[in-house]
Amino acid sequence: MDRRDFFITMLATPLLTPLILASKKSKNDLELYLIAEEPQKFILTLLEEVQKYSLSDDRKFCFLNPHPQEKALKKTFLERGWAPVEKPVEANLTLCFSHLQDKALPSFTLVKGGKIWDIRTRKLLSLWQEMNRTPDPSSCLTIASFKSRPTDLLVGKYAAIYNHGQRAETLSLGKDLTRSFQTRGGRVTVLVRNGKAWISDSPCRQKICLYSPPVSLAGERIICAPNNFLLTVERHRSVDTVIG
Amino acid sequence: MAKKFIPLLLTCSFLFASCGARERWQTSTLLVFDTLCEIKVFCGSSTFRAAQEEVEGIFSEIESLFLPEAEDYASPMVLELYTKALQVYHDSDGCFDITVGPLSRLWGFLSKSYHIPSSGQIESTLKIIGMEKLKVENGTLILLPGMKLDWGAIAKGFAIDLASQALIEMGITSGFLNAGGDLYCWGKNPDNQDWNIGIKHPRERGYFGILSISQLGAATTGDYQRYFIRDSIRFHHIFDPRTGYPASGRQSVTVCGPETYLCDALSTALFVATEPEKILKKYPEYGAIIVDSAGNLSFIGKAYPFGPVE
Repeated sequence: MDRRDFFITMLATPLLTPLILASKKSKNDLELYLIAEEPQKFILTLLEEVQKYSLSDDRKFCFLNPHPQEKALKKTFLERGWAPVEKPVEANLTLCFSHLQDKALPSFTLVKGGKIWDIRTRKLLSLWQEMNRTPDPSSCLTIASFKSRPTDLLVGKYAAIYNHGQRAETLSLGKDLTRSFQTRGGRVTVLVRNGKAWISDSPCRQKICLYSPPVSLAGERIICAPNNFLLTVERHRSVDTVIG
Repeated sequence: MAKKFIPLLLTCSFLFASCGARERWQTSTLLVFDTLCEIKVFCGSSTFRAAQEEVEGIFSEIESLFLPEAEDYASPMVLELYTKALQVYHDSDGCFDITVGPLSRLWGFLSKSYHIPSSGQIESTLKIIGMEKLKVENGTLILLPGMKLDWGAIAKGFAIDLASQALIEMGITSGFLNAGGDLYCWGKNPDNQDWNIGIKHPRERGYFGILSISQLGAATTGDYQRYFIRDSIRFHHIFDPRTGYPASGRQSVTVCGPETYLCDALSTALFVATEPEKILKKYPEYGAIIVDSAGNLSFIGKAYPFGPVE
């Protein structure tokens, strides 16, 4: 990828900024944001490039929510020796679908520790060119999160809510509650019942977030991209400083 | 091609416009009072440099006036802190006392050559303990021969108050200053929430609970901060001014409230007191989290948002 192409990639990122900020908080080692109608065409090339950078050799994947290309993606993964797993915490690659409010040109962005990762290899350049040969705008965003370490199978204690890129509240999963948040698209309602959290109501068009299964394990998350809203499960409440 | 360039140019101009004196979270540490003081504030880089200088200036002034070897008893700041300390001394029935200096020396906490004194030595030292023995004459503090002041349980909190006030006056809207056991925080944290302050576990690594506060100070006094062990008994530096022995019954006391110097002084007073509730009744804006010698938690006074950590 040359400098200019990289800048064009950056153009897509204002859409993603809130998600990138949130990913800085999560312990995921690397996140791939892929805007494409048919992500299965590109995702494995990207993945294999990324795996060169000392990511885990484990090949277990899991979908966090229904994906319009789920079948095709699964097929592609199985062909390359990836195994599907039920629980997100057992996977070292989780896939999450979001519907962008505005269509954008096909592109990909790699984010490491909350920062855009500028890797430029020949393979990625040809991939970039391939993506731009069919430059039909797409509203299909696939977020692939990689973990180099397996996450402990730990039950989370809190649901952190990010609204418009900022942490809005930390909900305890220990008690049942219903909380509504005023997002840019309207009110999003989060429910906590028996240690699990989910989005019960959202004004977004596609209602993807409503179909996401309830989350309870550390690291699991539900995203409502049109509303710029993210719910992520944490094991510990983070502190700013310690006294004593 | 032209189409491609317009958004690119817009992005570039946006990037350049946002450079310059941009406000962001800034952190640094400085070594004061034998401990690291952590500074975290939201401001531009030039303001941050001025803020660091301000904090350093205030701390070094306080340090020079209130270190164990300091003997400037006529400085207005010394007299001001003496008045504040005297109030807490009265309100706590002498549980908080800045005249415990000779006890710290007797037990070897000043020279770090710790030893257990005889009961006779303690008894004779107690004769020069007690703030009622201090006098102010002609604008200077008068000590009896042999008396020695120990400002350790109030001066750091006082410095935190002065420094954080100075930063607020500089226009810094959010931040905290944390000098080990003493802290003041204001505004919002980077997540736009109240500050989450972990309280150190007195016996284990990590923290046992989190205070979520803003526009407030907090201070912890613990038996783990300075101590020595003889015959498996822990002798720490928080003396009961009435007995001359380290106070027993508690592992740590954290006080939260509007002024850090009071949190600092009250955390020592409550650590020593047999009836801490009685003292806090006189300070309705202050609340305390007490860890007793068995490790049990109790809360007295005003309740501030606190979440235990399992």
